[in-house]
Amino acid sequence: MSWQRILGVFFRYFYVLKKGLHQLSDLFYWPFVDILLWGLTSAWIQTYNVTDNLSLRLLTGLIFWQIVWRGSVDISVSLLQEFWHRNLINLFSTPLKLSEWIFGMLLLSSAKLVVTISFGSLMVYLLYSLNIFIVGWAFLPFVFSLILFGWALSFLSSSAIIYWGHRVEMFAWMVAFLFAPFSAVFYPVSILPEWARAISWCLPTTYVFEGMRIILSSGSFSYFYFAVSMALNVLYFTLCLLLFRYAFEKSREKGLARLE
Amino acid sequence: MSPLVSVKNLKKVYGKKKPFVAVDGISFDLQEGEILGLLGPNGSGKTTTIQMLLGTLAFTSGQILYFGKDFKCHRSEILQKVSFASTYTNLPYILTVAENLRCFGRFYGLADCEAKITPLLDYFGILDKKDEPVSSLSAGQITRLMLVKAFFTEPKVVLLDEPTASLDPDVSRDVCNFLLEQREKRGISILFTSHKMEEVADLCDRAIFLKKGQIIANDVPENLAKSVSSHRLRLTIGDGMKRIVALAEKKAFPYKCEHRSIELSFEEKEIPLFLQELAKEGIFYVSIQIQEPSLEDYFLQLTEKSP
Repeated sequence: MSWQRILGVFFRYFYVLKKGLHQLSDLFYWPFVDILLWGLTSAWIQTYNVTDNLSLRLLTGLIFWQIVWRGSVDISVSLLQEFWHRNLINLFSTPLKLSEWIFGMLLLSSAKLVVTISFGSLMVYLLYSLNIFIVGWAFLPFVFSLILFGWALSFLSSSAIIYWGHRVEMFAWMVAFLFAPFSAVFYPVSILPEWARAISWCLPTTYVFEGMRIILSSGSFSYFYFAVSMALNVLYFTLCLLLFRYAFEKSREKGLARLE
Repeated sequence: MSPLVSVKNLKKVYGKKKPFVAVDGISFDLQEGEILGLLGPNGSGKTTTIQMLLGTLAFTSGQILYFGKDFKCHRSEILQKVSFASTYTNLPYILTVAENLRCFGRFYGLADCEAKITPLLDYFGILDKKDEPVSSLSAGQITRLMLVKAFFTEPKVVLLDEPTASLDPDVSRDVCNFLLEQREKRGISILFTSHKMEEVADLCDRAIFLKKGQIIANDVPENLAKSVSSHRLRLTIGDGMKRIVALAEKKAFPYKCEHRSIELSFEEKEIPLFLQELAKEGIFYVSIQIQEPSLEDYFLQLTEKSP
């Protein structure tokens, strides 16, 4: 064993640690999000002594949060794949339009989401004998709303990635969890502190998860929550799409070749 | 006849606080069936120009016309007839050769993709790799795959950024023959960058030299080579090495020595006089070689000139 060689290995990765956003996210971001998310969930369960349908509530939240997360990484990670494969120039030197690329991505993401939801629901049924569609198809409008928000987030992270390149690639996986603690995925908004509630009610996901809890507890569908979530989604989706288009054009000014 | 590609006062400036002019108002045309070499030292603006011609880099000012249409306004329509290959890009390595090409076929709206890719893969000797992932291909095979990608869409204009950079000389020669054949058969116009001057001299109808983002020469390769006045005289000396060096220094002729050989540069008309002087001095040489100036000499002269 040589100390010099061991230190060589240490410094090899330490230098990367100093430079990459994703290394910093491993050290600080993910632990912080986990502590916040599961801490608040535990506080909710303890404070209100929640036992009614607890596992169904948590697992429904988990599966439907997957929809947001899946949607939020699909487009940005596909974009990153073009960087990793050094294929970005090949792609955008063809007649392919940016709008066509976007539609292609949304089509692929939709197909993947159908698989994810089906697989997740089946697993929950097989492993825990819980049917998340117990209340019928009332969930579906909310699912669509979650997909839209996931895509909006994906365009948000893709904007950063197409503009700044590899150094912000971790943003693709991070962006959804930035909103998770405020989205009331596993616990109601009421458990959040006052300041966090204000943020929470600005997110379409909050209305979706609150609406889902209403379905689970009373079986009724909240048209109001659905309408607000869709209105916010249309707004955020449009803004993020415009931001992505703007970032792409700005990136073209610097040259797409620099991203490969 | 109107050119297929017309570049007018094309300029690219990077940055605002400390602006860097990468391409400085260049203008040139590419005619139908022409092979045009875009040459210059590293950082001269060749790749920047190609990227602007592909639309993957926005230009600061100027205009690019393809088939008489403004590239900014008709990008997608124009790129239907334009293709590109470069040694410096790659393809998704998880996908097979055929899957990659099928995707590109869709981007160009090709109906009979298979019928077009099979003969080209065969021509470039990679047909047996058709169903193999790109990751299993060697660097040379990937370069050839890039050429298949560039030509199977039946383009009218092809932009090639150092297409033979990683190829063995024999494959490189085959690629050059293929390019000439495509030009003959289908009248394709090709814009070509390369560091292999011999290849450019053989292949290109015309060569443009860029330096610091500006066009400093635009002529047929022979004329560019002829503009270098000095010939190279290479002698293997039997006796009198020190004396020939002294003579070269006295006459201020640039020279290079290597073992018993000396290479001198001077104008063609001075060669007989110099050889006479060697005889007078009693300098005995065992072999003599006179080299006419080449495009490479022109390139070297260009890069050595300051600033």
